[in-house]
Amino acid sequence: MRNSNSKAGLTAFVLTLVVVSCAAPASPDDSGSRPARGSVVRIEGTTETGYELIRDGRPFVIHGVGGTARLDVLAACGGNTVRTWDAETALATVDGRTLLEQAHDAGITVTVGLWLEHERHGFRYDDAARVAAQRKRVEEAVRRIKDFPALLTWGLGNEMEGPTGRGDREAVWKEVELLARRIHAIDPNHPVMTVVANVNPDKVRAIREHAPSIDILGVNAYAGAAGVGNALRRMGWTKPYCVTEYGLPGPWEVDQTDWRAPIEPTSRRKAGFYNVATTDILADTKQCLGAYAFLWGSKQEATASWFGMLLPSGEKTIAADAMAEAWTGSWPNNRAPILGDTRVPLANRRVKTATTFDVLAPYHDPEGDALRYYWEVRRESTDRREGGDAERVPEEVPKCIVRADDSGNATIRVPSAPGAYRLFVTVRDGKGSGCIDNWPFFVEL
Amino acid sequence: MISPIPLPCLWLATVAVFTAGVGLAEPLDFGDHTSATLTGKAWKALGEQRYDDALAYTGKCRELYMAEALKQQAALTDFVPAEKAHDSWALNDVGTCLFIEGQVLEKHDKPKAAATYRELATALKFCQCWDPKGWFWRPAEVAAEKVKQLQFDAKLE
Repeated sequence: MRNSNSKAGLTAFVLTLVVVSCAAPASPDDSGSRPARGSVVRIEGTTETGYELIRDGRPFVIHGVGGTARLDVLAACGGNTVRTWDAETALATVDGRTLLEQAHDAGITVTVGLWLEHERHGFRYDDAARVAAQRKRVEEAVRRIKDFPALLTWGLGNEMEGPTGRGDREAVWKEVELLARRIHAIDPNHPVMTVVANVNPDKVRAIREHAPSIDILGVNAYAGAAGVGNALRRMGWTKPYCVTEYGLPGPWEVDQTDWRAPIEPTSRRKAGFYNVATTDILADTKQCLGAYAFLWGSKQEATASWFGMLLPSGEKTIAADAMAEAWTGSWPNNRAPILGDTRVPLANRRVKTATTFDVLAPYHDPEGDALRYYWEVRRESTDRREGGDAERVPEEVPKCIVRADDSGNATIRVPSAPGAYRLFVTVRDGKGSGCIDNWPFFVEL
Repeated sequence: MISPIPLPCLWLATVAVFTAGVGLAEPLDFGDHTSATLTGKAWKALGEQRYDDALAYTGKCRELYMAEALKQQAALTDFVPAEKAHDSWALNDVGTCLFIEGQVLEKHDKPKAAATYRELATALKFCQCWDPKGWFWRPAEVAAEKVKQLQFDAKLE
């Protein structure tokens, strides 16, 4: 499982998506701008009839993303909810408004994460003092957040059972049960979901046996996300579930060059992954309440473009358009540029130092907007981390772009220093949409 | 027989991608013409971006073993357990070759690639392919996803 690592890592990248000022957390009462009226969310149905999430009396299918950037664009694309991994992110403020308030303004709901510590990071669920401190922190967060209208569900923990192994440690799941009961007591108006790293029979059995107060099982699943429902049913899970992280094949599961650089799917191919995975997941209308795709924003993970549905500068990409199509059945306004047939002779190859190449990466804009191309060469990332932790962006190599036009043609002079590099092209329509693709190459003497 | 050499799957295994082949016109060597040999050679050609060669190997495998593969498929009602997977040698190798064929066709003829994946997903749905990481994967299931992705891709045109 990706993104399973430290709270610090997750929070770090989320905080890069929004410019956060660390004002003291507020409650709806504190803001003075809105009456303190929380939402009421409940689950209706049975295993036989199927389950539905009901928010303020109306059915609600989770069309969600992980990430907190550009909530206005998310809403315009048909998204209706975001997920945080911790309560602090939900309460972080921009211009004096918490994420929960901004989300409400944009018509977006929030599954608020209540971070539970991981034993693989040194926490012990048999350490009474530390467990008590965690309980206190969770309960305080619930009291502080429960009346925000944007609150959809509680996300109690994220992969705290460990991303590998059986994930059936009794002490962990008994603590989850105790916390779920306390959350229900403090806030009877929002379901409690716990989030695990994929599923296996031992893990599901442990949750059923030791944490029966959990309302929804959240499953982070990348490869095979669409198969989660059938897997759960085989394992005897009869309550509703939500796919809480899914997306593209990661850098660890794709082809590599012979110098072990992962070959990133094209922007166009990524769109297909997102669209099909979303459609497949949502096809289980009986037990699945919806899904959160990763990542609404951008981050450096192997490359600066791998997982982001937005450019670093905030424009939506074709991946966001693909999500919109899956959620709503139609394209959003101002679609992103679409990559055509490319000719990049240095792609995935070893090339001689300081040689030049003519390359072509033509995009077309569905609305016919004029496109601006920005080419750059960067060193291959060497700051590779596991579990989605923040990575350093490699520096741009100057003077590699000899010539470029606005039709996707460019002449590239490869760097004189031997080593691994990537050629990136970023295309923008000037109206809020863009795209980014890249090709690895290796320079040798 | 499934080839004893590691058979890399595009998404599941690491494949070294080399410079496109030198391309000297040599007659293709089909080796001993077994399905395992043809499949192994097709994987290798795909990894080395010798796409015409890859199609020649998969075509030969189809030609020689499709009838047996269909017979083996017809005898099954579900995936066979891993320890018996090698009994379905023709099904597995021809299914894998169709997957490779789809991979090649995706690069220049998406409608034809979709048709190939569809054929694999429907006609050879219980084929399995050994992944060097230590398990069998199911080309027909991946092919079914590929069909959907190509259908989405067609909407972009």
